[in-house]
Amino acid sequence: MSDDPRSVEQDANGDTVIEHRTARQRRGRARPRIALNLTAMIDVTFLLLVYFMVATEFKLGEEVYRLDLPDRRAAQAARDPFELDEEPLRIQIATLGRQGYRLRIDGPYPQPETFDDLHEFLRSRRIADEVPGGLFEPSHPIIIEPTRTTRWQHAMETFNAAARARFTNVTLGRAG
Amino acid sequence: MSRLHRRGPAELHANLTPMIDVTFLLIVFFVLVSQIVEVENVDMSLPELADPRTELPGDEQRAVINVVPAADGSAREYKLGATVLPATEGGRRQLTDELASLLRRNPSMRINLRADQRTHYEWVQPVLQAVSTAAGNAGDVGARPRINLVVVRDE
Repeated sequence: MSDDPRSVEQDANGDTVIEHRTARQRRGRARPRIALNLTAMIDVTFLLLVYFMVATEFKLGEEVYRLDLPDRRAAQAARDPFELDEEPLRIQIATLGRQGYRLRIDGPYPQPETFDDLHEFLRSRRIADEVPGGLFEPSHPIIIEPTRTTRWQHAMETFNAAARARFTNVTLGRAG
Repeated sequence: MSRLHRRGPAELHANLTPMIDVTFLLIVFFVLVSQIVEVENVDMSLPELADPRTELPGDEQRAVINVVPAADGSAREYKLGATVLPATEGGRRQLTDELASLLRRNPSMRINLRADQRTHYEWVQPVLQAVSTAAGNAGDVGARPRINLVVVRDE
């Protein structure tokens, strides 16, 4: 067998035809070529890929409030018997109707109408260098007391108002 | 006329192997991720807060409790990871036990609490109570009740 990959032949018109042949063709044309048709698999695979890319929803927008609930055992163990309790500031929140709400602060304070009012009240009463006449330390306990039917949205907005005013000891109380 | 090179000098083939490899890797990734998201995060409308002083969730180990909402503002059930618990007194006791067991194994674990913005507080507060009680029941492993309240930023 010749090593030249080309075969030089004459066709019916007498023209010269040079035909390139692969090594396999040179070994023998009788052997069938085995090939795997991947087209259908690739089609299905891409369909699956597109489906999962469209259907997958990432929750990238979620953020968290870190709320460390009181450790009752540690609090009892470390309790100074002569220490006076710091009276917490209690804020009640109730949902009215579908979207309305009512805020109430325990004590002789101006009552806020909105969450922004509450935030402004708390910010103006926090003891800080830039706030003259503050009443409460940033670590002063604040207890938010939603009613049983208060929506979680309103409870969290109240919590957020206190957190935005930079109070650090904010807890959620029992359902009133 | 000469008809030289009628069949061409070489056969052209696109090597599809790397593309198929990458495609299958992407499919496996999306299948796994979608399952994890589904187990941890029940579809609900989380509270939306304007200008919240929140943090992005950290890398610490966590368990996720979902308060699965019902239409009337109540809870249909509680989900702790993939475990479904009824929103009854018995379910809440079971939730406390499961949490205590988790906290015994990992005292520094944080609990992510996800509740719908329309859910009434009476269905959420027992979960806070359960976490607090579970930390107390976890024994002397120094577990503290650490909760992450999950919200979304109102853009």
